[in-house]
Amino acid sequence: MTTLTRARAGFGTLPGWARSAIVVAVGVGLLAVTATLTGQIQLTSSGTTQAAVRLLLPILFAALGGLWAERAGVINIGLEGMMILGTWGAAWAGYQWGPYAAVVGGLVFGVLGGLLHAVATVSFGVNHIVSGVAITLLGLGVTKYLSTLLFLPVSGNPRQSPRVEGFETFSVQPLADALAAVEAQQRVVLSDVAGLLGGLLSGLTPLVVLGFVLVPASYLLLWRTSFGLRLRSCGENPVAAESLGVQVYLYKYIALIVSGALAGLGGAALTLNPGQLGYLEGQTGGRGYIGLAAMIFGNWRPGGLLAGSALFGYVDGVQLRAGGEAVHALLYGASILAVGLAVLWVLQRRWQTAAIALVAGAAVYAVYFSTETVPREFASYAPQIVTLLVLAVASQRLRPPAAIGMEYRRGEGD
Amino acid sequence: MRHRRGMAFAAAVLSSALVLAGCARDTGTPAAGGDAAGTECARNAAPAAAGGAAAPSAAPIAPNADASALRVGLAFDVGGRGDQSFNDSAYAGLERAVAELGLVQDNTREVAAATGESEDARVSRLRQLATEGFSPVVAVGFAYSESLTTVAAEFPDTQFAIVDSVVDLPNVTSLTFAAEQGSFLVGAAAAMRTTSCQIGFVGGVEVPLIQAFEAGFVQGAKAVAPDVEVDVDYISPAGDFSGFNDPARGTEVARGQLDSGADVVYHAAGGSGQGVFEAVAAATTAEAPKYAIGVDSDQFNTVAAPTNEVIMTSMLKRVDVAVFNFINAVAAGDTSVLPQTFDLSVDGVGYSTTGGGVDDLVADLDAYKAAIINGDITVSSTP
Repeated sequence: MTTLTRARAGFGTLPGWARSAIVVAVGVGLLAVTATLTGQIQLTSSGTTQAAVRLLLPILFAALGGLWAERAGVINIGLEGMMILGTWGAAWAGYQWGPYAAVVGGLVFGVLGGLLHAVATVSFGVNHIVSGVAITLLGLGVTKYLSTLLFLPVSGNPRQSPRVEGFETFSVQPLADALAAVEAQQRVVLSDVAGLLGGLLSGLTPLVVLGFVLVPASYLLLWRTSFGLRLRSCGENPVAAESLGVQVYLYKYIALIVSGALAGLGGAALTLNPGQLGYLEGQTGGRGYIGLAAMIFGNWRPGGLLAGSALFGYVDGVQLRAGGEAVHALLYGASILAVGLAVLWVLQRRWQTAAIALVAGAAVYAVYFSTETVPREFASYAPQIVTLLVLAVASQRLRPPAAIGMEYRRGEGD
Repeated sequence: MRHRRGMAFAAAVLSSALVLAGCARDTGTPAAGGDAAGTECARNAAPAAAGGAAAPSAAPIAPNADASALRVGLAFDVGGRGDQSFNDSAYAGLERAVAELGLVQDNTREVAAATGESEDARVSRLRQLATEGFSPVVAVGFAYSESLTTVAAEFPDTQFAIVDSVVDLPNVTSLTFAAEQGSFLVGAAAAMRTTSCQIGFVGGVEVPLIQAFEAGFVQGAKAVAPDVEVDVDYISPAGDFSGFNDPARGTEVARGQLDSGADVVYHAAGGSGQGVFEAVAAATTAEAPKYAIGVDSDQFNTVAAPTNEVIMTSMLKRVDVAVFNFINAVAAGDTSVLPQTFDLSVDGVGYSTTGGGVDDLVADLDAYKAAIINGDITVSSTP
């Protein structure tokens, strides 16, 4: 047994957190090298990380909402609608009583949407997709009606709420300042790591912290408690769960209420975004669906959906802040990654895969070498393309919950 | 044996890490705030005002006619009354016609549009106004282009007008604006104001209508300071209209430009502009002030209080002027007197001075304005 195969077997047997840590470390290293060699310091600046966090937060909440619903066996395409309800609820509560009330308002309105989805799909057996689409349309209509009724007299505009007071941001001191100082020195690799990390530790709001805490919290609740086991059993095999005494209806209701609450929090995150600070008709812009996609590509797992939304938020932040040149630099990073993977696969004697990776890397490098920048049309869709590619390569065996989308009637297993 | 190899590996990793940590990049140190001693911008002198007419005031296009017999219908675009932008501006034109031309308020009708409505909804709205005998009917916004083409052909005896688009039918008047000329002036103002010699443009959606704003802005800035660097970014590409309504992403684009050193940002991004203003307001400090430039209407008046202080001026698109003149021309029975595009010479576009952000620049800006009007400077509408 060579050292390498042992190392490979070792990687497979490592606990999940260690594997994630290695992947993150490789990613950070790759970005640092790319930023250094291409001179695109925006790739690893703290400003980019902060933009990524602001952009990923609503998507992350929506993805978590999708996770809870789908783990209990209910497809939740109504996340977008619950998010729209959340933006309205957050703005309505927020302009009157401040940002904490906005969070609660968004949560409550999201719960209303989740509850409706539960009544339709669990109690009345409506097709999950039909009910989800209906909730999205309902969210649009209800918020439009309510805005005309309640916001128009105050803001003078039926499409917009009055200004909502945002959260004060805070930083983890003295660490954040130290990292900012290191970043400003522009030391190779060190400053890149400091930039990426410093962005995560400064400009925080309670909502950001809540979002990041909810990922491990969801994991622990769903995978490490008997409550979670019962909830997930409703998504895998509700008849068997019922035979073991699990109240499937109750668990599906709980899952959908939590799902709606999380989607509503996603809406609140948009309402409290420093760029808008209020409700604006159509401000969700399909983020609920993107969250759902991030959850699916994350293989219905909390860690996976965090990776999916983080990747999306990061690339979106890069392309919005630094445009085509920075996305062009990412091509350079992609070619390094492809060659690195090819070397790894050659050592593992997986010749065909290695050859494909090498050719792909060479092609990407050729594109990088022959162009100055990528066209803006391509750069704007870079988040979708990168997320799709990375997650498609990383998780080739997607496994949805077995009984997802199926109608369940109590006692049908008899 | 294995241990030793592991030690050697660790030593190699550590020593290379130390080497790397000692390496500092010489390039690309970000302009971290307050870079007052930054590059000096060479600036051209303003053109000599021709004939001493520093601030040419637009002559009325036609004498006021009597519009008391007219019944005027106004079909709004999405947003409708209260959008504090061109729908409200169109209504202001109607109000002026009521005040000055004797138009009877009861003989006017406004109808609003809904978000994401179908083409059929727009067609039936226009058809309803025409069937009820309203003439002229003004369709506000380029979204009506297709529906108006359909309906205007069905009602050849009704006078129609469309704002921001061109419909080539004998009974339709197209009210378009020379946005590039107004953008030229605010671009000049931005180049006069910047201390970092770097300014930014945030477009909503990359379509020709918005590219005209970009083109004018860049030309105006280069006319004043040939070395000025203009960051041009769009929120979404053509076909994806979310860029007009996504302040969360608009704010990130503006932050990126500000972080890379720009200190004046002009937006042509509709509702996303709020995000641009918030980004500028968050970045501005007493020692390194940052400025934003609004669009379409006087945004110093429409944006809420603390944020609007960063708005030094706004590029005005005077839909009210166009609508008023159109009603006047219809009342007089001759729409041929209307200009092809409402440009600087008829006050169809311009810049605002509310808030006093450009008070010290007005003389120079008016000189550029005069030079554009008398043809010394031609502004291209494509970048």
